[in-house]
Amino acid sequence: MNSADTAVSGSAAFTTADLRPSTVSVIVPVTERPEPLAELYREYAAPLRAAGHSFEFLFGCEPWARGLAGPVAALADAGEPVRVLEVANSAGETTLLKALAARAEGGIVITLPAYRRVESAVLPVLIARVEQGADMVLARRWPRRDSWINRLQNRLFHALVGRVSGGELHDIACGVRAMRREVLLDLPVYGDLARFLPLFAVREGYDVREVDAPQHRADVHTRIYGAGTYLRRLLDVLGLFFLLRFTDKPLRFFGLIGSSLLLGGAVLLLVLFIQRLGGEGIANRPFLLLGSLLAVLGVQAIALGLVGEIIVYLHAPSRRPYRLARTRTPRSEEAVATPVAADRQ
Amino acid sequence: MNGLDRERSGPHGWATTASAGGSSEPGPALSVVVPLYNEEGNIHPLVSAVREALAAVESWELLLVDDGSTDGTAARALECCGADPRVRLLRLARNYGQTAAMQAGFDHARGAVVVSMDGDMQNDPADIPRLVARLDEGFDLVAGYRERRRDKVLTRKVPSWLANRLIRRVTGVPIRDNGCSLKAFRRDLLHRLHLYADLHRFIPAVAAATAGARITEIPVRHHPRQYGRSKYGLSRTVKVLLDLLTVRMIQRVRERPLQLFGAGALAACVCGAVFAAFAAIAYARFGPDKAYSVVFPAVSLLWFGLGAYLLMLGLIAEAALREDLPGHGRNAPVVREVSGS
Repeated sequence: MNSADTAVSGSAAFTTADLRPSTVSVIVPVTERPEPLAELYREYAAPLRAAGHSFEFLFGCEPWARGLAGPVAALADAGEPVRVLEVANSAGETTLLKALAARAEGGIVITLPAYRRVESAVLPVLIARVEQGADMVLARRWPRRDSWINRLQNRLFHALVGRVSGGELHDIACGVRAMRREVLLDLPVYGDLARFLPLFAVREGYDVREVDAPQHRADVHTRIYGAGTYLRRLLDVLGLFFLLRFTDKPLRFFGLIGSSLLLGGAVLLLVLFIQRLGGEGIANRPFLLLGSLLAVLGVQAIALGLVGEIIVYLHAPSRRPYRLARTRTPRSEEAVATPVAADRQ
Repeated sequence: MNGLDRERSGPHGWATTASAGGSSEPGPALSVVVPLYNEEGNIHPLVSAVREALAAVESWELLLVDDGSTDGTAARALECCGADPRVRLLRLARNYGQTAAMQAGFDHARGAVVVSMDGDMQNDPADIPRLVARLDEGFDLVAGYRERRRDKVLTRKVPSWLANRLIRRVTGVPIRDNGCSLKAFRRDLLHRLHLYADLHRFIPAVAAATAGARITEIPVRHHPRQYGRSKYGLSRTVKVLLDLLTVRMIQRVRERPLQLFGAGALAACVCGAVFAAFAAIAYARFGPDKAYSVVFPAVSLLWFGLGAYLLMLGLIAEAALREDLPGHGRNAPVVREVSGS
């Protein structure tokens, strides 16, 4: 049998007696609005200890947050399984997460925001689901305790994201997720895309599940952001749309836009040309300007798509356009439930 | 144990080309690669047909690539792997589409000759020995074309005929039937061929452009579909047109893209000059007050702007190309010894 697969050879092959408590690394990126980290550690470490897991906590902070990490560094001195890493040139939360995962020692990695989102009791449940064979398990804040405004925002965001990704996830913003360590390291995410980690996992063909977790009391406060935040989210989704669907075929995206514009412009110019042949003056027609503008924009978009195709083509030898499924024994094949997101062709 | 266990080499479920195509153990003479998507009814007939057709071949392997099927495809394929060690199964993590499935098969095929084939039993494995024989006459790629194609006329055959004509014209590669999956490849051609997106429809053109492949075609048999249903529809016309443009770009990219974009820039500037001339004429006749003296110059400037933009884009394309210097790596020319052979 394949040694790399023993931990995940399918739920049907498992009995509880087989389960060895896995080694778990909890990685905490200290980025926005962190809560006191020592308390956070105590709260979330307790259920892991109770479940008998061997675990470590990795706090990753950028240099500005070094002061915040002081109390947890003290915990490490006191013998708690805590490590604090400073990432000097981190470019966003994703880089931080990946850097932490690369230095984690556990086979299972849990990402935990530096603020309390869900009740800590969910952590052992997440771990159990990964041990049973899922690649990534998300905590979904449910039941929720917060106001209808928050829920409405969440619903709208996920409706939009769902349209773009085809996934049926309900709370990708929660940030509490458990996964096999190599899944996180494998995902092609960067910069500020950490929010969309589960969607990239679905796209890579990983088995992504959700687990309900009661929302933490500390997470309940109505959040209304500035207009800039919403604008950035919208841009994020646009970027996501492109990255998920068109990274290997940019001309499909730019070419479709460009050829529609070009077609519109060409029709306008043709109509004007015919009118001119009929003896009508066209020099004072704003449509001449509009037609030209559309045609020019169309050519620009197509040309940009072609440059995109050159880049994709040049990178093709170093990329692999597929990922193989993890090996499973035929016996466990039936036990593999349907993944969260439906595959699209 | 089963065909799958051999494929694993890394913790990510990735198997490397090196380990699959490496020289540690001699591979079979022939690999047959079959992408499968929800074809559970066709697998057993397919495997026995291949076994029958290749009875005279000394060593071969059949590589079934399960492209994220949701039916019993993988289970049926595993049964075949258990019954015959020459049958191997590759499973993709999700449904990636035919191109990626084919590339996965190519990456893991160990034969000196690789034959690709559809999994719907419309191709006839009995044609494989003929393809291979033709390959041995000094070709890198032998494509099959479907004589007396057995499909619906209006939705399949007519669009296919139009598409093939267009592809032939645009790419300049004289292949009658780009939609037929039954093809034979020499192994060293596949090392230079990297398929992605939906390029499987243009394999001959891409192979000729990037790998200097010597290509020919022979007629192959075609049977009506018996099990399962077709996964194609009419909706892909626009996609195919855009992909065709991509292939044209790939063909041209070995030359200087700046010259391609430069030609576009020149055309745009000619448009701009024409409208500038109109503007001058209008100005001479009507003076500066009329709308003419605004619209024409503005239109002229738009086109000149496009010219400048295309020129700059051409420069960026050159910069992207620098990454893979022409004459090196995949752009290295294919050189064959002609004398004394």
